[in-house]
Amino acid sequence: METEATLAQVDVSDLELVKQCQASQTEAFDELVARYRTRIFAMIYNMVHNEQDAWDLAQESFVKAWKSIKRFRRDSSFYTWMYRIVMNVTIDWLRKKQIKGAGSEFDDSIQLKEIDPASKTVPKEDPLPHERMERNEIRAKIDNAIGQLSPEHRAVILMKEIEDMQYHEIAETLGCSIGTVMSRLFYARKKLQKLLRDVYENI
Amino acid sequence: MKTFEEKWTAWLDDQLSGKELAEFEASLPDKAAAEAEKRDAQKLGALLKEELGAQVMSNEEFFSHQLRERIGRETASQDRYGERSTWWTVRRLAWSGAASLAVFVICAVFVLRDKNPGEQSQYLTQILNARVDPAISPNATISMFETKEDKVTVLWVEGLQSLPADYAAK
Repeated sequence: METEATLAQVDVSDLELVKQCQASQTEAFDELVARYRTRIFAMIYNMVHNEQDAWDLAQESFVKAWKSIKRFRRDSSFYTWMYRIVMNVTIDWLRKKQIKGAGSEFDDSIQLKEIDPASKTVPKEDPLPHERMERNEIRAKIDNAIGQLSPEHRAVILMKEIEDMQYHEIAETLGCSIGTVMSRLFYARKKLQKLLRDVYENI
Repeated sequence: MKTFEEKWTAWLDDQLSGKELAEFEASLPDKAAAEAEKRDAQKLGALLKEELGAQVMSNEEFFSHQLRERIGRETASQDRYGERSTWWTVRRLAWSGAASLAVFVICAVFVLRDKNPGEQSQYLTQILNARVDPAISPNATISMFETKEDKVTVLWVEGLQSLPADYAAK
């Protein structure tokens, strides 16, 4: 039943699904979740660097989206609207965590090394041990560098470099001006260039 | 674009063209260094995309299943809360009304009770009594005053034609 519904929704646009959600059709929301869950989870993971927290924050974001979808006026894409919720939830969470000062922000580095070899996060062809170690080291350096950015700078650089979003889309998502987005990108890039120069120059 | 940061970012992302691009490049003090930094920024972007863009979610179906359950639970509890909150609102309104009325009554009692002492305190003397027998003295007035501070009572008589027999000092 669910598979049939999903198959039937393949060609339906996001905004059409939103309309159906606004008529309280939960299957349509399921389809939207299926379309964006991976990207949203990845985005949050890159912001918080902890799989469990990213999972919870993604869940919270989708719950908020479902609760407020009737108020969505469809004047922007669903993706941008959804990202706005995701960013609000994640940045709030990061700010609260910073205030609490709960230890090191990236406490997932050990988990990354101990990741289940059978999980989908590992490529089918396992790299050699020294390659894996090297890759983990690079990843840890990137995580550490991103961790030194403010939540807002983090959001801007990830949306630009990973999601290839346009300035105006980022501005809309974060509720700020395009000039602010460009300025934040400038400072975030400068800082990351300084912190990661030895990484990208040796690859 | 107003600031240098904005122009620099647009230049790095190849968003400048025509006159804007020419003007910006002409304003750069060391174009070779700027080009090198642009290449650095592009390398950084590629590194981030390669390392962070590959993040995959495991157990996608479980994620959706958990979300459906959570939404179902929250919707149900919201409905229950909605019913309770309507009843709560009615009760709260009734209690608020009763409390406001009680406060009003208490304030009114205090104000009214304070009103007489207020008037008394405005004057140092008080007319306690005034009486006259119109048959004996039609224009006479007899007043008695009491000075609060000195605890003295004064009898003030005016317009008497003759002193009544019972007022005579014994």
